[in-house]
Amino acid sequence: MVDLGIPPDVAFVILATVTLLGAIMALQAKELIYGAISLAISFIGVAGFFVLLDAPYLAMLQIAVYVGAVVVLILFTIMLVRREEADTIERAEAGEGSLGLWIAGLLAVSISGVAALAGPNLPTTPPPADLPVSLLGPVLAGSYPVPLIILALLLSAALLGALILAKVER
Amino acid sequence: MHSNWLFAGRIGRLVSLPATPADILPFIIAVITSHTFITIVVFPGFIHLMLVVMFLTWYERKLLARIQLRIGPLYAGGPGGILQPIADGVKLIFKEVIVPYKADKPLFLGIPLMLVFLGALPFAVIPFGQHWVIANLDVGLVFIFAMTSLFPSMILLFAWASNSKYPFLGGLRSLFQQVAYEIPMWISALSIVMLAGSLNLVDIVNAQSKIWFIVPAFLSFIVFFIAVMAELERLPFDLPEAEPELVAGWFTESSGAIFMVIFLAIYMKLYLMSSLVTVLFLGGWWGPAFLPQPAWFIIKTLVVATFIIIPRGVYPRLRVDLLIKVGWTRLLIIALANVFLTALLLNTGALSALGI
Repeated sequence: MVDLGIPPDVAFVILATVTLLGAIMALQAKELIYGAISLAISFIGVAGFFVLLDAPYLAMLQIAVYVGAVVVLILFTIMLVRREEADTIERAEAGEGSLGLWIAGLLAVSISGVAALAGPNLPTTPPPADLPVSLLGPVLAGSYPVPLIILALLLSAALLGALILAKVER
Repeated sequence: MHSNWLFAGRIGRLVSLPATPADILPFIIAVITSHTFITIVVFPGFIHLMLVVMFLTWYERKLLARIQLRIGPLYAGGPGGILQPIADGVKLIFKEVIVPYKADKPLFLGIPLMLVFLGALPFAVIPFGQHWVIANLDVGLVFIFAMTSLFPSMILLFAWASNSKYPFLGGLRSLFQQVAYEIPMWISALSIVMLAGSLNLVDIVNAQSKIWFIVPAFLSFIVFFIAVMAELERLPFDLPEAEPELVAGWFTESSGAIFMVIFLAIYMKLYLMSSLVTVLFLGGWWGPAFLPQPAWFIIKTLVVATFIIIPRGVYPRLRVDLLIKVGWTRLLIIALANVFLTALLLNTGALSALGI
């Protein structure tokens, strides 16, 4: 546990309040900009949880990636999209996504097959809780290569899906 | 060094709290003379930071004036008008803060304070000497990365909150410039992490006791320095505040105290990036023993800041498309290639002659 100078329960309650209030504000804010800022505050609260759990590296990356990059993307989108355009969302017709569903199912089956095959080879004991940052790479790439590759596959599938969804046909 | 993660409550634990009214004065003296208090408030904390930032504003004006055969600040007392920053500060505090019509007032007034906060916070992990560091974090470099990655969103928010065309254009330019150059910057810092085997800035400086990392990692020094110039929006990368096109870029609408705070944040970031170059490449506090460690650190940092300032008096501005092209197609590729080169050199032991 990290030595914060205050009892960990108090720190937990403060962080939980910040995170939950930020999340609620993100949904309830009348102006989208304030919603995005509340989302950033909520992300910072989550980073605080990582610090509390003795994972400062993860906390820093949470701030850099989510607050530094994702929120910038959201802000950029809000500022460039005009209000009237944001209101109308077209609904997909029935049967339009059947091919996508087939491919997604195939991907899910193949990934779970690989996971089932690799399952017995995974270490049964979890790594020590106070793992130093310098050992993070060897543990991830040495002991858990298959989950890492599956995660990478899922992320790239999600990226491709986002590209296809965002593509506007003209 | 997990216990150093936050400094809240550290002072209270170093000295016992006063029990009777007679103990209050010794308690205050014990707090003020404690190492924690001095590192946070005096050096390398608040007072030192303010003094150096004020010096840098005067130094830049004087240096640019010399380049252009002018005299620069002269009348504000001291040698060469060195009290000019104080006069400027007093003038700006007493000026009216004009909030533009239909501007988003909370954001317009709040973001500049946030910028100063983000500029000052990373100094908590910068080591000015073996023991002159406020928080000796294991993840110091990633901490600075996280804090500096928040700058573009703050700048974009301020530009948007100004409700004016020029700031918004400047804010957009600042956003895509900083996002584009952040990536080669931190990838080139990666080879330093590989050489030192640590993300802790104190460990990185200690690893340079024999040879500065600028020698084995010269390529990544070049990439890092160019990316730092772009991150700081310095010429030839000062498109976000291009005076002929955008008046003053993303802070066009700021006035009075708000402008002063933004100015402070900009120079704080200049000092931060220069000291980061010193830590990563120029051996931090190492130097001949006739000067104390922090003195060497500050001298090196000011030399780096000089080389960041000089192009402003010499070079013209880049075009937007060239800027993005240089960032994404040249610097990124060089930085990535450099990572593999460093891995190769480390793996074959070619650097063992240098003591790495």
